[in-house]
Amino acid sequence: MNLRFDFIMHWLWAIVWALLALSGFGMVGAKHGWLVNFDYATADFVHRLSAAVFVVLTFISIAYEVFRNIKKDTKNLAWFVIGRSGYQLFTFITTLILIITGALIWICSEFNMSAVGFALLIHEYISYIALASVIWHIYKKCHALLSLKKPQAKPQKG
Amino acid sequence: MLQKTWVKLFIWFMAIFFFFLAAGVVISALKPGPSENEAMNFMMGMMSAMDSSMMGVAMNIENDNALQAVIALSTSIALPIMLVSIVAGVGIRLWQRRDRNV
Repeated sequence: MNLRFDFIMHWLWAIVWALLALSGFGMVGAKHGWLVNFDYATADFVHRLSAAVFVVLTFISIAYEVFRNIKKDTKNLAWFVIGRSGYQLFTFITTLILIITGALIWICSEFNMSAVGFALLIHEYISYIALASVIWHIYKKCHALLSLKKPQAKPQKG
Repeated sequence: MLQKTWVKLFIWFMAIFFFFLAAGVVISALKPGPSENEAMNFMMGMMSAMDSSMMGVAMNIENDNALQAVIALSTSIALPIMLVSIVAGVGIRLWQRRDRNV
């Protein structure tokens, strides 16, 4: 089976993002708690663990893009998560914002509550935009959901 | 890859997951409330998270000198690393542009 690097990265990214989104949106407030059955201990643990994996995947993706740039590899990686234009660029920017604000929330919660408040606000609203963009992305790429089987030709009468 | 049945099923699963999640977020944001029961569950959930999760561990950072030192070190080198990365990125772009023009 020929598994491509960009394909694996795309779906690893999707799985980690799904875990982050479910656990994160569940912790937004009391109205959202039913998404995680009000089990914030598990949601918090899953969110932080997935965030660490997310940062590693982002780092690998950026390093790979830089490596391709140095090697002057202009081959189009259709499944790759970050890139120079379109949805790939949007993903890159939102990812960096989410990682930086997430790190601020994680690190500054002990000594700078104003930074945490600001970072939480940005983190939450960027997440809403990113979730909406994922729905848009699925809509644009819906051909991946269609069956590739060709319709069988009907036998001609007569 | 897209012709494999398990890949197709997986993509369907992920797509459905995200649609349900988006629907859940919209329902959560637009529904009335929070009710008294939800507020109580929220408070109790947060309290349990304080005891038994990484949130609780994070609360104890002030007693952990080694962790404090790591955080201080990473905070101090974060900005220089970012600046070096930006300079390296611009450098690579300029280098490529120069080669293209030759």
